Amino acid sequence: MTDHRWTPSEPELTDALRVHYAPPSDPSYWESLEARILLHVARGGPIEGWWSALAGMARPALAAAAVLVFVAGAAVFHTRQLDARNAYASVISAAPPSVETAARSSSVPDGDATIDYILSH
Amino acid sequence: MLAPIDGAPTERAIVIAAQRGSNEAFSALVRIHQRRAYSVVRAIVLSHEDAEDAVQEGFLHAHRALDRFRPDQPFGAWLYRIMANAALDLVRRRKVRDADELPDNIAIPFRDPAESGELRERLQEALLHLTDRQRAVIVLHDIEGFTHGEIGRTLGIPEGTARSDLHHARATLRRLLQNIRSTP
Repeated sequence: MTDHRWTPSEPELTDALRVHYAPPSDPSYWESLEARILLHVARGGPIEGWWSALAGMARPALAAAAVLVFVAGAAVFHTRQLDARNAYASVISAAPPSVETAARSSSVPDGDATIDYILSH
Repeated sequence: MLAPIDGAPTERAIVIAAQRGSNEAFSALVRIHQRRAYSVVRAIVLSHEDAEDAVQEGFLHAHRALDRFRPDQPFGAWLYRIMANAALDLVRRRKVRDADELPDNIAIPFRDPAESGELRERLQEALLHLTDRQRAVIVLHDIEGFTHGEIGRTLGIPEGTARSDLHHARATLRRLLQNIRSTP
């Protein structure tokens, strides 16, 4: 079996390119393309899929999330401040210990008081 | 090759009407120019489908920029420059998006030509060895009949660069398309 080989001339190459890049010849194709172009122009751009819509929402969503985090942080901080203030107020307003307890605790250790009590009975 | 239509008085009137907001006039411009617009973008992008997308984007850009067009200029040259930019932009975006999927995105011929199967296949492969600009230049020159100056204006490159790109594109194709096996 013989294997014929050839190298295309310049015009043959141009012909091959012409075939490769040939635009559609069917008139109905051009009518359809015209309609699609006009629709595209009327819409002002391509139809976006749900992923594009989500991508478009990403920036506002991130901003909203940042605001939410800030508000939540501020609320937690405010609550902690209130708790601290209430705790401080409760300490300030608490009744002072009795004089007896205060005197005993300051002069006699608890262990000695217990031994005195046991020996006296 | 399409007959030149730039500068025709009727077209100037249509352009002015379109600039005044006539949808009918803009439709007429689309009808007049869509075939050549397709050929310009097809010379730049790798597939028929991308060419359709680029033509639609190109007309959208043209519609938005219509009020900035001076009617004393040739409308076709202005439009094809916009088309070329839309196609180049699409090619750039595709390269970024399809960086990992290149083998699936190789040029798809629109129809099956009655020619040597091996020449067709090897031409398709050889075209991928040209740069985007070389491919555009050889197609616009050899198929669409653009002059070097027109190519330069359309692609936004100096005329000398268009000439040099054409020379290199032809040399590359000649080198890659040797010893084609004949179809029995």
